[in-house]
Amino acid sequence: MAQRAMQETTFLILTALADSSQHGYGIMTAVQEISHGRVRMRAGTLYAALDRLSDEGMVAVDREEIVGNRLRRYYRLTPAGTKQLAAEATRLHANAIAALSRLKLAEGMAT
Amino acid sequence: MTDAADLERRYSRLLAWYPAAFRREHEAEMLGVLMDIARDGQQRVGLADATNLVKAALTMRLRIPASAPHTVIAAIRLMYTGAAVSLACWISTVASEPSVRAAMVRAAAARWPLMLVHITAVEAALPLIVVGWLWLAWANGRGHHGARIALVSYFSLVTLILPWMLSIGAAVYAPADLISLAVLWLVMLSAIVLIFNKRSEPYYRPA
Repeated sequence: MAQRAMQETTFLILTALADSSQHGYGIMTAVQEISHGRVRMRAGTLYAALDRLSDEGMVAVDREEIVGNRLRRYYRLTPAGTKQLAAEATRLHANAIAALSRLKLAEGMAT
Repeated sequence: MTDAADLERRYSRLLAWYPAAFRREHEAEMLGVLMDIARDGQQRVGLADATNLVKAALTMRLRIPASAPHTVIAAIRLMYTGAAVSLACWISTVASEPSVRAAMVRAAAARWPLMLVHITAVEAALPLIVVGWLWLAWANGRGHHGARIALVSYFSLVTLILPWMLSIGAAVYAPADLISLAVLWLVMLSAIVLIFNKRSEPYYRPA
């Protein structure tokens, strides 16, 4: 059965964790950078997504630290999360190439 | 009390909307993140942040656990459909009440008091039915054995009451109402078949 397209929130969180583990605030900052400021993820959205992704085995807790009397929990991608992110990135890349090549074709026909 | 302590207390109050298990797991780190992103001297929670936290908390409460079998997930989706159809029925009943009243007074003045009682009962009961559907979806999602019994009891009650309701109030039902009732009955029946499927069985535990 064909895999369902990933929600953008999920894609951005997994992308934020692709190269290193991050804590909540780090993920929110990374998501803003990755989306060039377009997506500003709020804490409620982030933790609902992290809880779901943990349940689905896509992310896991890497380590915990106490910074200034506050708990800071770092998350990392699991092998399943890495595989899903790679599959989604490949799918989006293929779609983008198809769209751009058709647009170029259309431009060529218009001129 | 300092501004930061005041703000933290307000955030804690909003986090109380989340399920207990989620709070045990994430409350401390969420508070840390919320306080990290707060502006210097901020005392109150912004409207957008408050709305986001409450919306996420409700989503968490209604979320179908990833461990649920496909049959239970399908049944829960049907229960949410039941809630949505009941809500739509309530909105349409309330919205169409003035025109139904006027039509009834003209067409069947003698039966009007009985019809008024009937319409008022439907208007009062439908919001409770919506809450009932949401509770059934939540409890079945958590694998409570009692939730299956509750759905069967609800289905039996509706099956027994429906012919009586239709017989006393047939004149006030529009075709759309009858279709909605039929859809709700079928939704319940399908959900029961799914939650008593052998694949669903291991997910439920005795209360």
